[in-house]
Amino acid sequence: MSAVAPTAPTASVPSPPDQSGSSLTVAAQMFGADFLKLRRKRGIMIWALVLAVAPILIFFLVSAIQHASNPGKYGPAGGVKNFSDGLRVVTLFFGPLAAILIGVEAGTGDASAGVFRDLVVTGRSRLALFASRVPAALAVCWIVIIAAYVLLLAGSLVFASNLPTPGGALILNSLGFALLGTGVLCVIAVGLASLTTSKPAAIIVMIAWQVVASPLLAGISSLGSSRRAILSQAIAHFSPVHVGEGGHGASVTMGEGTALLVVVVWVAVFLALGAWRTRTMDT
Amino acid sequence: MELAIETHGLTKRFGARTALDGIDLRVPRGSAFGFLGPNGAGKTTIIRTLLGLTAANAGTMEVLGYPVPRERAQALRRVGAIVEEPRFHPNLTGRENLRLVAAVRGPETRALIEPALTRVGLADRAGNKVKSYSMGMRQRLGVARCLLADPQLLILDEPTNGLDPGGIQEFREMIRAMVEQEGRTVFISSHLLDEVEKTCDAAAIVDRGKVIVQGSIAELAQGGGVRNELILGVDDVELALATLGRASELVRDARRADDGLRVELVGDPRTVAEINATLVRAGVGVTRLEPVRHSLEQRFLEVTSRLDTEPANEASAGVAEGEQVRA
Repeated sequence: MSAVAPTAPTASVPSPPDQSGSSLTVAAQMFGADFLKLRRKRGIMIWALVLAVAPILIFFLVSAIQHASNPGKYGPAGGVKNFSDGLRVVTLFFGPLAAILIGVEAGTGDASAGVFRDLVVTGRSRLALFASRVPAALAVCWIVIIAAYVLLLAGSLVFASNLPTPGGALILNSLGFALLGTGVLCVIAVGLASLTTSKPAAIIVMIAWQVVASPLLAGISSLGSSRRAILSQAIAHFSPVHVGEGGHGASVTMGEGTALLVVVVWVAVFLALGAWRTRTMDT
Repeated sequence: MELAIETHGLTKRFGARTALDGIDLRVPRGSAFGFLGPNGAGKTTIIRTLLGLTAANAGTMEVLGYPVPRERAQALRRVGAIVEEPRFHPNLTGRENLRLVAAVRGPETRALIEPALTRVGLADRAGNKVKSYSMGMRQRLGVARCLLADPQLLILDEPTNGLDPGGIQEFREMIRAMVEQEGRTVFISSHLLDEVEKTCDAAAIVDRGKVIVQGSIAELAQGGGVRNELILGVDDVELALATLGRASELVRDARRADDGLRVELVGDPRTVAEINATLVRAGVGVTRLEPVRHSLEQRFLEVTSRLDTEPANEASAGVAEGEQVRA
């Protein structure tokens, strides 16, 4: 049997589009694409907003009603004290849940929709595909957290009555703390979700660790200095307001440098694991 | 001959199971090439291996002249592929789904989105969410996604799955236009013999991870060489067989068959008139004289069922090495 010859002459193929682009332009476009994917996940966006914003709304609503009904017993709903309480809610309790939802969706979205292979066959490196998820997840997460923070700030000012209101430095430091605390969890969620490629598994592990295991471990004093490795304790050290019993408001005492190192190690480890899995998995 | 795909000894194992067993494949540029095989034969695995979705255990591959996986990014720059069924983000529109891929391919690719949608007939529905698309529309959107690469090579895995007859016909015409008018190479994996026979110029038959045979569709159907055969209807079978037995310059073999006499010719079909004249001169009444049309289906069943009747090792050595075409 002879070799197969093409049945039609090979026509001139149109010149290829320049698919290289500048790396910055490509990165910006890939960020935009991942941002679009997250933004259009209506269910995730609604739940993230509900988790971040609703507790603050309820917090101010209940406090305001209590103050209106019995001003002698309940103080005004705003002011620095209530701002601090609200910041704790946004940064350490409900904001992280929103961040986890968004991070996990960013980490598993392509794989669960079955389109990751279609992105891989473009020839673009898998690491680049993984890397573009992180800033997109952070952007969406921070939009949600900023919305909650703006509400917190507005409530603290509007309902302050005769109480002192947060100053400029506290407002900026608190915003930075809220973005740091939720951003770190969001990035870790991207890494963990990319590692497990399972949305339920990643969500359960993250929430169980953050909400259940971390406070329990931090409360076991016999664990001593090893508790410094607990992420939530390290993050709490950057709080501009009192959020706990230990130094800088955390349950476990540690220096700023140690706290920063712990946060960086957590982020680096989970990003590395997520990147490794994305690069090596069969699709 | 320029090749779009070339593999040597490509092997892929999943644990103890060998999915690809030393595949040697040569796909010429500018042709529609069918990759035929029963379910589980290794069709999707070779596509996934070529595209870098899974790593090979042994062997070499070249895609559009670039060694893969070493120069995978360059190789895939002008490749469009649908692996298994086309998948999309269902909550995004067709156009948005293409934007995602265009963003990954590069900034200039965005300009190809609208032409690609128009080409596959989805321009009017591109603003609808993909979850509202039929299977046929998803297939077409999958092809549009491939076109974003302005592909020299399209790799399509079971592309007519889920299409209605009209959709299959349209799809076939689109593939032929891509090959004949635009000079693209289309590699189609399928278990639908009829589809490959109608759409492709050449094919390889794969079974149990091995390429059993490859060649042009006509060559494959004829079974490894040019076999011209006739079905004869005659009034005196014995006399006809004796006459044909003496005409060895015209007839290689003649035997009884259910539908008359089956005659294998020495030469090309133009000798049919001579055979007719020979029989008539010998006093045989010829009531039917029909060239046999060999189908790819017959050939497919021949080579794949032969494997079923032989021990696996023997089959792989004998059939694969004996009949595989080395272009």
